[in-house]
Amino acid sequence: MKKIFLSLILLNSLFSAEKVAIIQVSGMTCPLCTTAIKRSLKMTPGVIKAKVLLHTKTAAVIFDNTKTTPKKLLHAIEVVGYKGKIQQIKEVK
Amino acid sequence: MKRREFLKTGAALGLTASLPSIASANDEKVRRFRVEYYFNIKYDEPVYPARLWNPLPYNAPYQKIKFLRFGGNYNDYDINNKNEYNANTFYAEWEKSAMPKILTMEMEIETKDRSVPLELIKEASKKNLPYPKEVLKYLKPTAHIPTNGLVKEVAELITKGKKDRFQKVKAIYLWCTAHTFRNPKVVGCGKGEVGKMMQEQKQPTAEYIYKNGWFGGKCTDLSSLFTALTRAAGIPAREVFGIRLGKSHFDKALGKSDSKGFANITTWQHCRAEYYIPGAGWIPTDPADVTKLELVEKYSYDNPKVQKLVKKYLHSWEMNWVGFNHARDFVLYPKPVQYPLNMFGYPYAEVNDDVLNYYVPKSFEYKITSQELF
Repeated sequence: MKKIFLSLILLNSLFSAEKVAIIQVSGMTCPLCTTAIKRSLKMTPGVIKAKVLLHTKTAAVIFDNTKTTPKKLLHAIEVVGYKGKIQQIKEVK
Repeated sequence: MKRREFLKTGAALGLTASLPSIASANDEKVRRFRVEYYFNIKYDEPVYPARLWNPLPYNAPYQKIKFLRFGGNYNDYDINNKNEYNANTFYAEWEKSAMPKILTMEMEIETKDRSVPLELIKEASKKNLPYPKEVLKYLKPTAHIPTNGLVKEVAELITKGKKDRFQKVKAIYLWCTAHTFRNPKVVGCGKGEVGKMMQEQKQPTAEYIYKNGWFGGKCTDLSSLFTALTRAAGIPAREVFGIRLGKSHFDKALGKSDSKGFANITTWQHCRAEYYIPGAGWIPTDPADVTKLELVEKYSYDNPKVQKLVKKYLHSWEMNWVGFNHARDFVLYPKPVQYPLNMFGYPYAEVNDDVLNYYVPKSFEYKITSQELF
């Protein structure tokens, strides 16, 4: 019973639509840059949550991969004048 | 209001200039300004916490805070200068709630026009004295003020053949005022990204920039350009972030008020600069206001009034303005979520990890007014 339950959890995470993208962002020079990037990401359909940090120059984006793609996330960063590079795509814990 | 505090003088706050200035204010007429701040921090959610850092003036022979009064419904506050540049900071925080987040501040500021006599600067410069230890940091680059590469090469071309420190500064200042223009499209005071400004020139080579460089920007951009070139030439320099308080007696382009001396100064933040000559101390300069006069009055660079200001602002400041700090690319105290802060001339606020747009006072929300007291 326990094994079945664990397998179900594993399967659920494998096919979960929610992912986290960790993106390295270049071009940020001041705290307001984080606001511009965050706003652009949040306006992208499929983005559930975004956190942008200046000192680490990273964006962590929770997104629904049935509605958007990492490429679209990078585009959202690019349209406000910054450059993103996907570091990692993880499951939502 | 939850609490109201009254601090009689800047000295009680420890609001002192972090570095001495040997040259002091002239025997000019003292001007007094009553400056009032009103904050009502807005956010696009009904329930939210908030943290606010507001720059406060430093005390110097040419500017003094006579008193500071403040009140509001904050849960906690702190007045400190615990940061790398000793920038005086009023900090307030509000816990998560649906309540409006209110802070009011009132200050009386006394100013005197500041000028260091040219003869004193020239004499001090000739002596070529060593720099005191505390100014050496103003020779170093920061994230926004590179002092190598193109900046260094351009500085070398501008100061070629000049041995005397003041002559080098003067050459850089004159080059800056002749090669810059005020771009009204730039948001706020500009970011002062000198490396980027150099790379954006038509031909990013030292020879081309020296001869044909044409830099658009606002006061932080142009003060930072001067600062970077001066540091690259081996002379300590720094931006000074502050705010205009009222009417300029030189020209309305540099500050105005109504007939009763009142002005809404919410968006009047202005960045100036200083350079250091041992024996004369920190010397005021303002290459950016030359470009403001040209733009507002539609004057060319060789207009007599512009040239008069060029001469004046090589070593002076009209004090219808007050300085806050010379901090760049540093970390505020208490530590915000987002750091480093590239400059501290505006109020800075965060709601969790969101930075409120200090360039849009109405959405932030804040208002600053000034009443000159005659």
